[in-house]
Amino acid sequence: MKQKCLEVLEQVYLFLDGEGLSEVQRLEIEAHLEECGPCFERYGFYEVSLQITHRLQGTTPCPDGLKTKISRLLEQA
Amino acid sequence: MAEAQRADLTTEERARFQSEALPLLDSLYGGALRMTRNPADAEDLVQETMLRAYRSFDRFEAGTNLKAWLFRIMTNAYINTYRKKQREPKKVSSDEVEDFDLYQELKDHDPQWEMTPENLVLNSLVDSDIIEAIDDLPEQFRLAVVLSDIEGFSYAEMAEIMDVPLGTVMSRLHRGRKALQKRLWEIARDRGIVRGDRKE
Repeated sequence: MKQKCLEVLEQVYLFLDGEGLSEVQRLEIEAHLEECGPCFERYGFYEVSLQITHRLQGTTPCPDGLKTKISRLLEQA
Repeated sequence: MAEAQRADLTTEERARFQSEALPLLDSLYGGALRMTRNPADAEDLVQETMLRAYRSFDRFEAGTNLKAWLFRIMTNAYINTYRKKQREPKKVSSDEVEDFDLYQELKDHDPQWEMTPENLVLNSLVDSDIIEAIDDLPEQFRLAVVLSDIEGFSYAEMAEIMDVPLGTVMSRLHRGRKALQKRLWEIARDRGIVRGDRKE
């Protein structure tokens, strides 16, 4: 793998998380992803894998019985 | 369960807690379930968290992130009360996951692999598979992945919640994601979504 690709790969999760990178660094990564097919595909894969985990949000709601119990407890607290 | 004096809140504070904190119960319960991996313990943890939060709500700075504040209380409660009970999952070790990359593995596994929706192993896994993989992670990795990738907290918020430096957050999250990918790969293999051996 080329050096630039390795550098981008190291930062790709920071890029996906929108954290820890300066504007200049972000623009450099974007530019590389636009011109490098393999890196772009890899980036897409990581993006999908994060989305799949994120999809779990809200899939285990608090049971109604617990909500009621907590409301009642707070009133007495 | 924590005994305490009556919460010393104003009427306005009580009302504000009810209207702002109760809607976060779904998130809290989801987080508790992934921490304890046990619905009964999760219920106890959420209940304890809400009571502690209610009693110290006068110390919450209005306008700051309430969800992060509640998760901080819950993580502390988990560490103090429930962590001792937990069996550490044996299926994933903390070391030697750093090199694992699911994308690379799929490409190496089958030279003809192309990234299409059908080939995307991840798409063939159902929610319960993902949950199983997350639950198999060592606790520190699991917590980082849950806070970031399910609940959407920032690194700074996670540092507050987990009470660790920012660098530790990033390290646990990075390694946690790798460990998750590796576990997903193994589950996919067990389900027959990918073959156990490499194609020539």
